[in-house]
Amino acid sequence: MMLPQQVVPDTTQTTAFDSIWANPDVPVETLNWLDQLMLSQDKLFVVLAVVLIIWFGLVFFVFRTDRKLHRLERTLEERIGPKE
Amino acid sequence: MEADTSAVNVPLYRKVRAVVVVWMTLMILGAFSFGGLWLNIPRINILEHTARNLYFHVPMWFTMMAATVVSVNHSLRYLKSGHLIRDTRAREAALLAVVFGLLGLATGSTWAHYTWYEGSDLWWNFDPKQSMAAVQVLIYGAYFVLRSALDDPEKRARIAAVYNLFAFVTVPFLLYVLPRQLESLHPGAEGNPAFSEITHPIMRLVFYPAVVGFIGLFWVLYTQRVRTALLQERLDALDMPDL
Repeated sequence: MMLPQQVVPDTTQTTAFDSIWANPDVPVETLNWLDQLMLSQDKLFVVLAVVLIIWFGLVFFVFRTDRKLHRLERTLEERIGPKE
Repeated sequence: MEADTSAVNVPLYRKVRAVVVVWMTLMILGAFSFGGLWLNIPRINILEHTARNLYFHVPMWFTMMAATVVSVNHSLRYLKSGHLIRDTRAREAALLAVVFGLLGLATGSTWAHYTWYEGSDLWWNFDPKQSMAAVQVLIYGAYFVLRSALDDPEKRARIAAVYNLFAFVTVPFLLYVLPRQLESLHPGAEGNPAFSEITHPIMRLVFYPAVVGFIGLFWVLYTQRVRTALLQERLDALDMPDL
């Protein structure tokens, strides 16, 4: 209930005296650098992150297969000697 | 081991590999085309450009399902024929299923963090479909735990094949039926179609090729693994010439 002598705070201009500054619910810039990046450009970087997860996941897998092949090559060399 | 069942069709593999590389390149270009060029996607609040994750996150699950189909197919054929090559193929396909499942979980979690859970610190909030998918990956993870517990190749192959049948039976329920019965943030929950009216038809133009492309990529990686495993088995056989 608004008393007649009270003045509605002016929130159209953000001066240091506005009541809006005292309101804890007002979102403030507390985003860390990662969130700032991810939410910029209409969140396009989220798609980049997803693509990179898949890319590095598959690269990691290919490297594991490669390591297995390398082990096989070494075993083969031990058994029948290096390829001439 | 019969020659016709053990050989990998290398010329076919090379052809598929070349097609997959070109196909995936075009798919990624299609996925990132915007700015009035072509395949412009509609703007949706909160989702914004992350709608493009439809082309990357969702095919992970389609690919995982394809991998489980390949895996159970070879497990069944192992139980019928007793050829160990079938066990090898089932094992490698199941491994790829786990890989794509983990990628699906990681990409989904990232996507959710910046859309569903935007403004919070949440990466994971036990959305039914997430949880079921995680359980599904664990079921396939247990397949490898089971394998590692058994030493005799024949016995291991047989028990793993039977387990794989049970694991496969859970796939449609955990990834398809149950999430649709529960309240979920995922599209397709509570009996809705997964492609709702907010999914613009133009997105299907990239989405379906993406599914095909990722399944092709799975097939390439799977064939590499099978070739490596066959080489391993031939080397192991050299150690035991009398067997």
